[in-house]
Amino acid sequence: MAFDMTMALFRPALKYAMEKNGHGKTLGLKMTEINRGEINLVFPYKEEVVGNPLTGVVHGGVIVSLLDTACGSAAMTVLNTPAVTPTIDLRLDYMHPAEPHKPIYVEAKVYRQTANVIFCRGLAWQDDKENPIAHCVANFMKVDSKSINFSAIAITQLRRLMPWGKTTDSDKETGK
Amino acid sequence: MSSEEMSLEQNKHQLKEWQESIAAARQENSPQTVMEMIPYAAFIGAQARIENDQLLYWLDKKPSNIGNPSLPAIHGGVIGGFLELAAAIEIIYTLDIAAVPKVVDFSLDYLRAGRYKTIYAKCQVLRQGKKLINVTASAWQDDENTPIATARCHFLI
Repeated sequence: MAFDMTMALFRPALKYAMEKNGHGKTLGLKMTEINRGEINLVFPYKEEVVGNPLTGVVHGGVIVSLLDTACGSAAMTVLNTPAVTPTIDLRLDYMHPAEPHKPIYVEAKVYRQTANVIFCRGLAWQDDKENPIAHCVANFMKVDSKSINFSAIAITQLRRLMPWGKTTDSDKETGK
Repeated sequence: MSSEEMSLEQNKHQLKEWQESIAAARQENSPQTVMEMIPYAAFIGAQARIENDQLLYWLDKKPSNIGNPSLPAIHGGVIGGFLELAAAIEIIYTLDIAAVPKVVDFSLDYLRAGRYKTIYAKCQVLRQGKKLINVTASAWQDDENTPIATARCHFLI
């Protein structure tokens, strides 16, 4: 396969945006593979996200977040200039509950794209990929919007670290 | 008593405690008590109260729920997780079932971007069968009539 310059630049930016920001950071997910139309990530078990306190099984919402992140990122990688790909819809089938205290692996693949829509499939499993926890299909829009400004994200993060450059909630809301 | 019997006994005990806590929450008209029994609710910051004889769920804005930091917008997965959680609470609190419902499938339509402010949600149980329950959930921010997402969920009991 020829060297893919766009992906070489996009890979660390996407990894940074997903792992070091907002909900991805809070979940503690790690992107293990980023290729064109294909994303792999892993989520370590966390007590904080338990959905059934009797069994210690993680809440389905976590699986939604993981698959949405993976599919959404996979959708972004098929574009030639990185841009936001809004989710149209997402459908998740839970085959069996996740076992507590074990990492969850997620794979997402773009299986078709048209002029306006990107079609993705995702899979979540623990021990055996052939016996998955959940399967999902998710569709994304290709929109004409300005590309994601990764450097702006990095600058915002840096400003938050500096005691004199703290961004306030009102700043964020007005998008300053 | 074998270790297997002991863990079975322990499960029974835990389930009984769970049922008693839910009965107590209903007595006090406090769905928030049920919410607090699920760790994931605190993780995303979901809350519940009764309004006009219906359960109202809400999710205050929180930096750890951001998905796209440049807008900023709430993570789509968080909106999904919040609606799935709301649907589960709706069942646990309003229907008289013994165990924690198990989700079978979940379908989510994103209608608008979730801006960085409070999200509200309401649920409706469309059908309760012997084994399967169908619940819909709708989320909005400014106006209930302009939802940001709707979800449909099946639970096994």
